[in-house]
Amino acid sequence: MFRLTPETLKKLNRFREIKRGYYSLLILGFLFLLFVIGELLINNRALIVSYEGELYFPTYGEFHPGTDFGQSYTYETNYRELKEAFAEADEGNWVLLPLVPYGPNENHSTSGVFRPEPPSLEYRHYLGTDTTSRDILARLFYGTRTAMFFAIAFTVAVYGVGIAIGAAMGYLGGTFDLLFQRVIEIWSNIPFLYMVIIIFSVVPATFAVGTRIMILLVVMVMFSWTTMTYYMRTETYKQKVRDYVASARVIGASDARIVFKHILPNVLATLVTFMPFTVISAITAVTALDFLGFGLPPPTASLGELLKQGTSNLRTAPWIVTAAFSTLVIVLTLVTFIGEAIRESFDPKKFTVYK
Amino acid sequence: MFGQLNRNLRNTFAVVLAAGLLVACGGGSEEEVSTRDITQEVNDYYAAHPELFQFKTPADLPADLNWENGMELPDLGSPEATKGGTEYSYVQDFPRTLRYVGPDSNGAFRGYLLDNVRLPLASAHPDRDFEFFPGIASEWAVDQDSATVYARLDPDARWSDGEPVTADDFFFTFFFYLSDYIVEPWYNNYYSTTFNKITKYDDHTISVTMNTAKPDFFHHILDLRPEPQHFYKDLDHDFIERYQWEFVPTTGAYVVRDEDIIQGRSIALTRQTDWWAKDKKFYRNRFNVDRIVFSVIRDPNNAFEAFKRGDVDKFGLNTSEYWYEKLPDNDPDVQNGYIHKEVFYNQRPRPNIGLWINTSQPLLDNQHVREGIQYASNFDLVIEQFFRDDYARMNTASDGYGEFSHPTIEARPFDIDQALEHFAVAGFTERGPDGILVNEQGQRLAFTITTGYPSLADILTILREEALKAGLEFRIEVLDQTASWKKAQEKQHEIALVGLGVGVEMYPRFWDTMHSDNAYDDAFLEDGSVNLEREVKVQTNNMEMVAIHEMDQIIDRYTQSSDRDAMVEMSHQMLQIHHDHASFVPGYVQDFYRMGHWRWVRYPDFFNHRVGDANTVYFLHWIDTDMKEATLEARENGETFEPVINVHDQWREQ
Repeated sequence: MFRLTPETLKKLNRFREIKRGYYSLLILGFLFLLFVIGELLINNRALIVSYEGELYFPTYGEFHPGTDFGQSYTYETNYRELKEAFAEADEGNWVLLPLVPYGPNENHSTSGVFRPEPPSLEYRHYLGTDTTSRDILARLFYGTRTAMFFAIAFTVAVYGVGIAIGAAMGYLGGTFDLLFQRVIEIWSNIPFLYMVIIIFSVVPATFAVGTRIMILLVVMVMFSWTTMTYYMRTETYKQKVRDYVASARVIGASDARIVFKHILPNVLATLVTFMPFTVISAITAVTALDFLGFGLPPPTASLGELLKQGTSNLRTAPWIVTAAFSTLVIVLTLVTFIGEAIRESFDPKKFTVYK
Repeated sequence: MFGQLNRNLRNTFAVVLAAGLLVACGGGSEEEVSTRDITQEVNDYYAAHPELFQFKTPADLPADLNWENGMELPDLGSPEATKGGTEYSYVQDFPRTLRYVGPDSNGAFRGYLLDNVRLPLASAHPDRDFEFFPGIASEWAVDQDSATVYARLDPDARWSDGEPVTADDFFFTFFFYLSDYIVEPWYNNYYSTTFNKITKYDDHTISVTMNTAKPDFFHHILDLRPEPQHFYKDLDHDFIERYQWEFVPTTGAYVVRDEDIIQGRSIALTRQTDWWAKDKKFYRNRFNVDRIVFSVIRDPNNAFEAFKRGDVDKFGLNTSEYWYEKLPDNDPDVQNGYIHKEVFYNQRPRPNIGLWINTSQPLLDNQHVREGIQYASNFDLVIEQFFRDDYARMNTASDGYGEFSHPTIEARPFDIDQALEHFAVAGFTERGPDGILVNEQGQRLAFTITTGYPSLADILTILREEALKAGLEFRIEVLDQTASWKKAQEKQHEIALVGLGVGVEMYPRFWDTMHSDNAYDDAFLEDGSVNLEREVKVQTNNMEMVAIHEMDQIIDRYTQSSDRDAMVEMSHQMLQIHHDHASFVPGYVQDFYRMGHWRWVRYPDFFNHRVGDANTVYFLHWIDTDMKEATLEARENGETFEPVINVHDQWREQ
């Protein structure tokens, strides 16, 4: 939609020069890559099983009952046990397990009781286990993945709605603007967290986790789009009276074209600056909701749930809170660094400093 | 004194308000503005119900009564106990009212206001089977044939404001609990359906008659607690608001003083030093602590930290998490002997914690699906690995009632093959791509388990993971307590993980949870066949929607019966039917309670009496103030004591 103008290229180059933000972006990008292929790294399903000369790739797709690999049970194969069984039988069958061979919901106790176990290389619980002996690394990974993807979807949606309405308000002005300002004033006074809690308490648990995440997303977007509109509105107001908009109109460009093609690229700087903070607020909000117990239903892995477990076992299992808290800090810091770098690179005054 | 002043002030306020209201309404009778006195109303009520309230003379007492006074029973508590000291405790929520009747009164704090403190006519001795020791009554006589208990009130019995307790107070109690002033339909119903009449012979002699001579009818009568008539002289329809923070004079040892009610922060019980029963045989070693201060600490983790600091004197350690992880035996405070750990095994009816399957829901109405669920619920693993084998598997919904509990039924074990077999009979033969069974119509074998206890979510996640092996999916729904209770009461749930608390009763109740009356309106037609137009009945405890004609009939006979042996037999039959019906997956039984306490909180050597399920039920402990000082000093100086970890298993059932 936008061609890279020399101006934009300059900004991008400047972004690259700001090392802190640039590397943060690279790290976060790498993390995203990991998230996408997560099932290959952290999973209780094997990567490859070689059984009687045939290769199986159980990671994605349908489950394999134990009987597929000569086990006696009809439920999903326990690949860790399968590996040991194959090794013992020594018939040339083998199993390749992922780096962390545990699923996020699996209770795997090494001592016969479900309790938090400290990190251990031997059992490949690299960050230990939680109170019901589930692998923390697995839960952390999948929890963060949900939070990150959620945050991005949230940001896109909030920007979509915010830009559309804000631009319309600024561009059309008049009664429409006046009316929507009042609507937004009223709407933005509804406490968002309470609304989420209220709405979520009536959402039936029979909905699949995916559906519940979608509902949460919609509800959160519904109560968060307002802030964006105000920035958008003032910016559009400012641009609307500029000569280039007048020329576009004289040529006969439609309103939509003027807004999206001409005005939008000029207000991009403002929008981009806020983006990381929107991401952060989304992550914090889902984490807070889970912490309060109003987020995703158990046993779904989430940062908030881990934090909650961690704080209630502060003395006895510090590794839970350490892992969850560090992850949260690292992710938020990375996003903040990126945000600062973007703001700086989009700032027309190159040498301003904040005092 | 302050209380009285306050109360008068508030009365004035109420009158002013009432006057304003009347003016606003444009009129009203003079009487309502003046100070109210309901004595006449009460007497009129007695006169209007001559069947219920009877007045006789001592000469009318039957001559052949067998008077008992329970004095042969062993003492309670330890003679070593000393009075004094302050105990620091905590509550999770500030009590919502000081009333113990009416809306919001059934909270966690009620035990301190009513159940464990106020004296009934007589109480069941905790170490014996339904043998009673005196309370307000100094002696009593049970007449089985007429379902009547005669009682002589202890002439020493006094309210905490100094007024004597008389037969009139018991009469008034009936008026009180039958009136609509108290806004408590449960009591209205209980008093009107349970009791037949109350008779006054003189100021200190009464008798109460029950409607049916159940084997334990005298238990219900002896459990009556009087209400102070003189205090409620101006009882009115503003009862709920007016007595919200008003401490009602008590017959018990502890009062709540107005200055100790610090809204939202703390509340304290204060011992009456001149309590009328303080030297009586069954009370002299109890209620030892002078003051018990309850601070509000909402988060259990914070409460535990407060306990470890010594700001709270004792702490319940029932869960494995607390007992083994947070305060393990090798904790320095335990090893240095500052904090003692105690386990006490008790004998009492067990709360029926388990999966309540709503048999009116699709698929769950199928016997084989339910049996499959029974075999697919791995409570054995929960008990073994989560509770570390400290708890036992529950076998029926009514365990712990002695003879009345079923001697042989055992809960179905976790057995994947059996579960799969039953699911197959129900049409679930194929596993879907995610391993969950599906039937020919494409329905997945998935059910939602609702619970109101976040602390039980861990158990559910374990059950869920295990059930997956049997091709069954449990979806977990953790709601807040009220919402989940409402859902189950409205019969909207599929499966609920709950347990109903039970008091110490002789025999289990079946009508509430298993009679079709509580499942449907007109569940069956005259001939016993299913009424196809029946409608679900909500707001009852039959949360499994059990509606079995045979069961109904046995329950009806059981309710009518006064023959103990027949009732035992019927109880076994019903438990068998219930087991075969497979609508309740029995969970676990905790046959003990555990706690930690600082060294200066002292307990009798036997720790508690047989049915004790918490440490404040009988108030046996005492605070040793010298020891507290010494302990704190020793802790400061690094001196240590012998570690104490006691297991009191004298009442353990094998």
